[in-house]
Amino acid sequence: MTRVRLGVLLAVLIVLSATIGPTLVPFDPIRPNYTLRYAPPSPEHMLGTDNLGRDVLARSLAGGRVSLAIAGGATVLAVLLGLLTGLSAAGLRGAVDVVLTRAFDALLAFPGFLLVLLLVTILGGGVWQTVLALGVAGSPLYFRLVRAFTRSELQRDYVLAGEALGASRPRLLFRHALPNFVGALAVQAASTMATFLLVEASLSFLGLGVPLPTPSWGNVLQDARSFLTRQPWAAVGPGLVLASAALALQFLSDGFRDRLDHRV
Amino acid sequence: MLRFLLSQALSVVITMVVVLSLVFVAMRALPGDAAAILGGLDTTEAQVDALRRQLGLDQSVAVQFGVYWSGVVRGDLGRSIRERRPVAEVLRDRLPVTLALASFAFVLALAIGLGLGLLAGRHPGSPLDNATLGFTTIGLALPEFWFGFLLILIFAVQFGAFPVIGYPVAGDVGVRLWHLVLPAVTLAIPRAAQMARLARARLLEELGADYTRTARSKGLPARRVTRHVAANAFPGLLPLLALELGGLLTGTIVVEQVFGLPGLGLTLLGAIGARDYPVVQGVTILAVTIYIGVNWLADLLQIAADPRLRYE
Repeated sequence: MTRVRLGVLLAVLIVLSATIGPTLVPFDPIRPNYTLRYAPPSPEHMLGTDNLGRDVLARSLAGGRVSLAIAGGATVLAVLLGLLTGLSAAGLRGAVDVVLTRAFDALLAFPGFLLVLLLVTILGGGVWQTVLALGVAGSPLYFRLVRAFTRSELQRDYVLAGEALGASRPRLLFRHALPNFVGALAVQAASTMATFLLVEASLSFLGLGVPLPTPSWGNVLQDARSFLTRQPWAAVGPGLVLASAALALQFLSDGFRDRLDHRV
Repeated sequence: MLRFLLSQALSVVITMVVVLSLVFVAMRALPGDAAAILGGLDTTEAQVDALRRQLGLDQSVAVQFGVYWSGVVRGDLGRSIRERRPVAEVLRDRLPVTLALASFAFVLALAIGLGLGLLAGRHPGSPLDNATLGFTTIGLALPEFWFGFLLILIFAVQFGAFPVIGYPVAGDVGVRLWHLVLPAVTLAIPRAAQMARLARARLLEELGADYTRTARSKGLPARRVTRHVAANAFPGLLPLLALELGGLLTGTIVVEQVFGLPGLGLTLLGAIGARDYPVVQGVTILAVTIYIGVNWLADLLQIAADPRLRYE
């Protein structure tokens, strides 16, 4: 209960900081200001400035927009991919089921981060490419979940009753089976989004995700790495925000999971 | 039983074949023409064509696919474009650093994760249990590379207790281990958090089971009860341990970059940057093979440790 509250509070703060935050800080997150390089934290520049004299707080807030949008978009993509394939596999069975299961097994045979890395290498860096890579890499989990849930729902009596009443297969799948596990998927999705935030940050940190000068939490931290000892706040600040965002989502996921369990 | 093992082995082989074919497709999908890259900037069209013929890139995709497979089966992974020597040699040079780091991190994660998880599960609701839950939640939300920065700032820069970056490949064992402490801790914390969570959950489940109540009520000594509980809780942990161990071979990429360790991860990143695709392909094949192998081994061990799984 408290975890859900804490998660909601943190999530609201972070979404606010990403949406209206950038307008509250009067500094351009992208344009350099060479007269102000490596300024220490001050009331004006709360996290100091970086090697190009840009306000680190402004870059963190602007980076949040990009990072949260990527992680959110990729999560939606992963869930949708998993949902469509999972429902098809469980609903159609036979060859479709075998082929889809084999294909997703093959994706799962790659260590997760390696798969994302290869996909991004093939697609090239960029916001959309990162969303696509993360979404594809995250989809096998949802395929498995949806397939398992749907198969077990299709065994239930209400499905038999629906069939007897002449309900069509898609209607049974989407209107009757799906609502029974959509909550569990949402719980999992919050956790996936937390992971994606961290993975996107890692990719951008390696220079393979969002290309500079567009700020994302990952490449703001990549910048900070090169002057870590000179300007530690430039690394500590954005990292804390990133960690709190991941924490908020983890709290939400755990909290709602416990609630679902209690109800059952 | 034999039939089950055979069918499982067959399934692993099929997965390997599909996965390695995917790797072939992926490598052909990478941007850039390998011959043009290998030739460099000052080559003429004719020279690039000659190189293309030499690399077999002028052959049909089917022939290239055959050549690729015969290489994979013989363990011949081709030649590195950048380093101008066999990929297998490059991997052999870089693997030890990653293996040392990965095993160090795995042992740490195992000790912290299982230790905390079992203690917390033994005393649910205690301050230790709450602390463990807090640790696992934070551990899972920590950006790995950023945690590495913090460790560098605190322990290397502030206290000067550990080296900031780098790794003396030729140094003696103690010195090399010293360089691996911070990277290994960085890798171990999130993995320990995963393990602690699962270990705690497994233990709680078994401690609440009917057989545990029966064992206690008939007066079995605590040690015997623990043994029964452990026998039931442990096999369920194996798949996660295998995932973590198998994933470490490439899971070290980010940390190698943060701490400047010349392992497989840095090799892979360098190869991606330089479009040295034979090396990318080689690292991928090695990582995937080990990942699948370790997971399969865990399945077998789980079956060996849990007789109930043998009758499915």
